[in-house]
Amino acid sequence: MSGSMNSAASAEPNLTPMLDMVFQLITFFMLVSNFQSASLDLSLKLPVVGSARPVDTEGTEDLLILNIDSEGRLQLYGYAQDLDPYIASEAKASRTKAKQDNPKFKPDDDLPATVVLRVDKQASFKLVNKVITTCQAKGFRKFALKAMNKE
Amino acid sequence: MRRRRKKKGGHESVELNLAAMLDMAFQLLTFFILTFKPAPIEGQINLKLPPPQPVTNVNSGQQAGSDQQNNSAVKGLNSLVISIFSNPGGKIATMAIGEGTVLGLTALENRLKAVLGPDSGASFDQVIIQVGSRLKYDELMKVVDVCTRQTLANGEKLSKLSFVELPEDG
Repeated sequence: MSGSMNSAASAEPNLTPMLDMVFQLITFFMLVSNFQSASLDLSLKLPVVGSARPVDTEGTEDLLILNIDSEGRLQLYGYAQDLDPYIASEAKASRTKAKQDNPKFKPDDDLPATVVLRVDKQASFKLVNKVITTCQAKGFRKFALKAMNKE
Repeated sequence: MRRRRKKKGGHESVELNLAAMLDMAFQLLTFFILTFKPAPIEGQINLKLPPPQPVTNVNSGQQAGSDQQNNSAVKGLNSLVISIFSNPGGKIATMAIGEGTVLGLTALENRLKAVLGPDSGASFDQVIIQVGSRLKYDELMKVVDVCTRQTLANGEKLSKLSFVELPEDG
């Protein structure tokens, strides 16, 4: 506490250590915050598969994350979306990006983006297969099936 | 950033008002605390999923049975077919590799090791999984997990799968 040298003593707290601590806390939360997780629907119950391992793509790979609930609906930021138009628009965007990155990219080439499927474990194969075949029809070939490696 | 309250030689020292900065810092801190939501660590299984292809890689002009040197039942076949039938609850009822029934995931893994592995002499490079439409996704993932653990005759891990839907009532 730094005291005043005036005759009328006033209590002025030294705010510097508090400010230091607050900035450290802000730095910590800024570093651990991952706003990409907003695109993940955390209400989905993923299947548990022992050999599923986290893969760090280091941001180099183009990912299309699809959250599919137990009724087979595509969930995007908490809202159900129509599957076909969404996949079509994402495929178009991926094709445009691929053409920018590689001028030799042909329109009927396989898309370089990876479809990340986060599917509720209670969904039936019929619903999952509809999503997969829709993606395949638009040119996606690389898929990543998300799962937890423990309960 | 420290306050200086001493006066040197009659000159007034500059005093920083830290209260406003502290207010802003607390607002930022509150924002980050409220939006902090640690995502669970999820694993993934990477697959190449081409559309369904012919199970044999037929050269142009080649006739069936024209290769006299081929006396193996599986030589020339590129795709191994696994069938999974489900019960009304969406669980695995029966499984088959080709036409041979396998009982349970352990039996499936052992059979796949024998059929796909380096000692098998087979040239499979992909697996077609025929799945009953009612099968739950977590049951399917158990089979996919077993498949992706297999090593092919060429030493590569199996990652090329195709799914085919088997119609089932319900």
